[in-house]
Amino acid sequence: MITVEGLTRKYGAFTAVDDVSFVCEPGRVTGFLGPNGAGKTTTMRVMVGLTPPTSGRVTIGGHLYHDIPNPGLHVGVLLDASAQHAGRTGREILTLGAQTMGLPLSRVDEMLDLVSLEQNEAKRRLRNYSLGMKQRLGIAHALLGDPSVLILDEPANGLDPAGIRWMRGLLKGYADRGGTVLLSSHLLHEVEQIADEMILIGRGKIVASGTKDELLADAEHKTSLVTALDNDQLSKVLADRGVTFTSAGSGLRVDAPPVDIGRLSVDYGIVLTDLRSADGGLEDLFLTLTEDTQREALPQGATQSPALTEGTQA
Amino acid sequence: MSATTAPRNLDVTGSAHVPMSRLAKVELRKALDTRAGRWLIVGILGLILVVEVIYSFAAPDDSKNLDDYLQIPGATFGFFLPIIVIMLVTSEASQRNGLVTFTLEPKRSRVVVAKFLAGIGLAIAVMVLGFLLAMVGTAFGIVTGSSPTWSVSGDMLFSALFLANMIGVFTGFALAMLIMNTAGAIVGYFAYSLILPTAVGILSLLSSTFEDIAPWVEFNTAQTPLISGDYAPTGEQWAQILTAGIVWLVIPLALGIWRLLRIEFK
Repeated sequence: MITVEGLTRKYGAFTAVDDVSFVCEPGRVTGFLGPNGAGKTTTMRVMVGLTPPTSGRVTIGGHLYHDIPNPGLHVGVLLDASAQHAGRTGREILTLGAQTMGLPLSRVDEMLDLVSLEQNEAKRRLRNYSLGMKQRLGIAHALLGDPSVLILDEPANGLDPAGIRWMRGLLKGYADRGGTVLLSSHLLHEVEQIADEMILIGRGKIVASGTKDELLADAEHKTSLVTALDNDQLSKVLADRGVTFTSAGSGLRVDAPPVDIGRLSVDYGIVLTDLRSADGGLEDLFLTLTEDTQREALPQGATQSPALTEGTQA
Repeated sequence: MSATTAPRNLDVTGSAHVPMSRLAKVELRKALDTRAGRWLIVGILGLILVVEVIYSFAAPDDSKNLDDYLQIPGATFGFFLPIIVIMLVTSEASQRNGLVTFTLEPKRSRVVVAKFLAGIGLAIAVMVLGFLLAMVGTAFGIVTGSSPTWSVSGDMLFSALFLANMIGVFTGFALAMLIMNTAGAIVGYFAYSLILPTAVGILSLLSSTFEDIAPWVEFNTAQTPLISGDYAPTGEQWAQILTAGIVWLVIPLALGIWRLLRIEFK
């Protein structure tokens, strides 16, 4: 269990982490989500004692990280997969970790197998690794000591879709066996797939937390994406009822909640092949909550293709 | 993680601190497991052999004794040993593996001690190798026509080979921890070991007052009695080594350790 209590970290006038408190429960994967520079990495660095907090504290299973003897056996840490001597081979990096923790060298091969790094890949130097391979090696390093707590900063970064699926299985299994997992990401999609619980951080402050369902409980849906077997028929019905819509891909974007369109389809016998809400999802929530912390204001024109813009002007 | 239940507290009673011997062993391995570290050592030993062969042909037969040959590894180590130590320390920041080193052992002072032990161990190991190479050189001297004496004074072994090189190793530590950048620390080391003594030498020629003061404040000058003459500094010379050593070794080392304990490894 990881407990963060009133954590603040300032760099001069800049507050990187501002009075952050949360708990990561054992048996669950907790996702730590926020835009670039929101304070995720700083929080994780304080957890493992690399950065001293300005105030507040973090305990792991009731201990300050600094007080855990041979911490590699209890807490697996991956802060930056590239933060290793580029001239060492993957195998050597794991060997150094295993030796420090006092583990048998057979553990190195077990971990290489676990993260699917081939023997010949393990003999290559880190500078020749792709980002995805570095991430696999970093995860292997974090798991070396068979810890009960995992702290991973952007572990899915650079993994291919198969790699992300693999990591999801690995971390789920790990949590199911009673482990505590905290992983950060700036990509909602990754966290949504892997995490049981989410903590959203923006500009150093926690803006929301809970399970996906809890986070979405209050969301309102006002727009839907719908595709019918006969889109023309659907368009006609919508137009008759004064509901505005635009065409979107193979279907329509309708300014009405999905439930209304579902009723229409039943009433008029229109067969729908796809119906979902176009807003109020986790992504909207995330962007709304971290709006003032985003670097970009998501200008409308920027997302349109030049041809389309020209068309509307003409 | 064998338990299927989910304990909220970590039971750490079963695990002991990483023993210092193991930390030091890992640091020693880290000094040698990169291409830079390994080839630097191989290069130093190779250079010693080459110089010994040249010396065997060039030197007069009556100065081809073991203690003459011992000068060669003594001087070569003095030059290169600190660089190995510098790389061992600065790679934690330059190559960023400090992130891992200091999460596996969050008590940084223990890592510092482990690095010191590894540095000392490495220095002693290459000194022994250097001594063996000096014997090989002396034997090669016989081939080129000398009849050497094999006796070596204890003063020479202690002052020139051991103490001077240990001072070099710790100078490397001090510079590395202060500058925390491989290239910067090596440049700093050469400025300290080459440019500074040259500047002091020129100033000493110009001013006799400075010549009197120099050995008290300039560490290379102060160490000259350790590596030349009868290798037995006088009381005054020891005092000079001590005062210059405080300025150039003890204070930088203390500041360097202070910095390493506080720096944020990014």
